[in-house]
Amino acid sequence: MSAAVPAPARGNLFVALLLAWLFPGLGHAYLGKRGTALLYAGIVSAAFFLGLAYHGKLYVREADHPLTILATFACYGAGLLNIGARLLMENTAGNLLSPTFEYGCAFLLTAGMMNLLLMLDAYDIYTGAKG
Amino acid sequence: MPQDHFLAMVLYAALTAGFFALLWRSGRRERWRYFLFVLITMLAGAIAAGWVMYPLPPHP
Repeated sequence: MSAAVPAPARGNLFVALLLAWLFPGLGHAYLGKRGTALLYAGIVSAAFFLGLAYHGKLYVREADHPLTILATFACYGAGLLNIGARLLMENTAGNLLSPTFEYGCAFLLTAGMMNLLLMLDAYDIYTGAKG
Repeated sequence: MPQDHFLAMVLYAALTAGFFALLWRSGRRERWRYFLFVLITMLAGAIAAGWVMYPLPPHP
């Protein structure tokens, strides 16, 4: 007798991944996981906005600092939150003199990485690897 | 926004713990247990690291 394997989700994988990147939890909502989608949206958005409130930096690639490539990738992982903040805010470099600057950066980078993990999770749900 | 390092640390730990509890565990009870485990581990770890670093000279 074989173990029960979850059936692959309906819908389009590309759409699920795109929605998952655009806004936290949207890919999960598309795949029918509406309850967890709301919680993911709340957690990742809270982390992102706390990062801005703590004067964190939305990184851009700097030629002299190769590690900023990774930080920029992490920031762009937050999808529309990141793009919207870059478009709407005058200062996206944060405030280096703020006592909470490092926390702000940690919150922003973590929000982006969380959203990238949610994309992978949406992929697993779509393929049936996760129920 | 209060410039309180401890509050920022607690918020960071709570959000991270909540995220991974949702992602890696299923079932309400299991998720709460994992959330508390990660939260307490992160907070205790950060405070322990702070104590270990206390004798080190301050940043110039």
